[in-house]
Amino acid sequence: MFAGILTLWGQYFGNFLGGLGISLEITVAGLAFALVAGAGFAALRLARFRVLRLIGTAYVEVVRATPMLLVLYIMYFGLGQVGIKLPAYWAAVIALGTFYAAQFTEIFRGGIQSVDRGQREAADALGLSRWQRLRKVVLPQAVMTILLPSTNALADIIKDSSLVITIGLSDLMARTYEATSATFEPMDMFLLAGVMYLVVYLLLSRVLGRLELNVQRRHG
Amino acid sequence: MNIGFDTSQMLHGAVLTVELAAGGVGVSLVLGALGGLARSRGPRWLRWLIVGYVELVRGLPQILQLFILYFGLTQFGINLSPFTAGFIWMCFYGTGYAIEIFRAGISGVHPGQLEASTALGLSRFQSFRRVVLPQAVARMVPPLTTFVILELKNTTLLYIIGVPEIMYHANLLASNSQPLNIYLIAVGFYLVMNMTLGRLGAYVEHKMSWAKS
Repeated sequence: MFAGILTLWGQYFGNFLGGLGISLEITVAGLAFALVAGAGFAALRLARFRVLRLIGTAYVEVVRATPMLLVLYIMYFGLGQVGIKLPAYWAAVIALGTFYAAQFTEIFRGGIQSVDRGQREAADALGLSRWQRLRKVVLPQAVMTILLPSTNALADIIKDSSLVITIGLSDLMARTYEATSATFEPMDMFLLAGVMYLVVYLLLSRVLGRLELNVQRRHG
Repeated sequence: MNIGFDTSQMLHGAVLTVELAAGGVGVSLVLGALGGLARSRGPRWLRWLIVGYVELVRGLPQILQLFILYFGLTQFGINLSPFTAGFIWMCFYGTGYAIEIFRAGISGVHPGQLEASTALGLSRFQSFRRVVLPQAVARMVPPLTTFVILELKNTTLLYIIGVPEIMYHANLLASNSQPLNIYLIAVGFYLVMNMTLGRLGAYVEHKMSWAKS
């Protein structure tokens, strides 16, 4: 029985690895989008003007209340109504980016606000500009508070990238599903995919965990 | 107001969504409390088993977990209906999250609190019920609110295997016309439900603030 599974796994491993590549590609592109947009919305949430703060808060509240699958469907199916037809790949990247931008907004805002007020006041007293104050004083101290939840968010993006199976992209999850109907051994195929996802997850949490420890040592 | 389509079906879907989430949260809280207790006080082998379970829940994509229950088990002749598979998954996933919340809640209460209450002459049960538990619960309210909202949002995945919740009805309507409007109405449904839950959580947190150490 074991030999049977292993032959099957060997047969599909290359195919699945290609799928994992697509999953990771979508993840990285989505992460980049989310980081940039998240920084932007965090700036809005911390802005001096009430209107800007309100826009930032509204974005976070609405997106965080919406399920990821619904965001994906809005990008892929919904936008067609107003004449925007995104290819599946870009719909996936933009959906992941939009959804996780809200998470990163809160992560960045929390990190920046965790730095003691006195630090900012001291920087002002020393005559630093707003930008210098952020770059030289606030951000270095916020790094640790930002890093840990960011790792968790990245792990979540990888897992949520599997939702693209619903819009026809050929990621790891989609290839696994195809393999189940080709082999009639669904559990064996899901197990292989599970192992691959789990390896990525454990690598990520261990490697990034170590990286965080290093940063902590240097800054702590 | 006539908006050109009938959203009453989505309302039925919303009811099912709430029922699924409520059931999933209920079962997960009971199992999670037991698991959380066993995770911090149980024998070694049980603790490792629970750690493994939690890592599986957190490390595997949700869709994969759901597909294993719905499609994977057919390999062994177990055919679950979409509703059954979906509900079991909601409980399976929720329990993994609830275990961590309870573990953190219990271990967050300083051991000195228990010692102090025993020194005051309270029995072990009394100290747990009157001193440790209120503090643990007060600590757990914010993560529990997040957890309930997470479970509610998770119900959307059940649409993929054919459970007729909000997303299912939204898609039926969207395939006819005006997909963006339909999906935005669906967003409205989730927004109302999740914001209500958020406010409720904040209210309970406020009420429990006496127990914050």
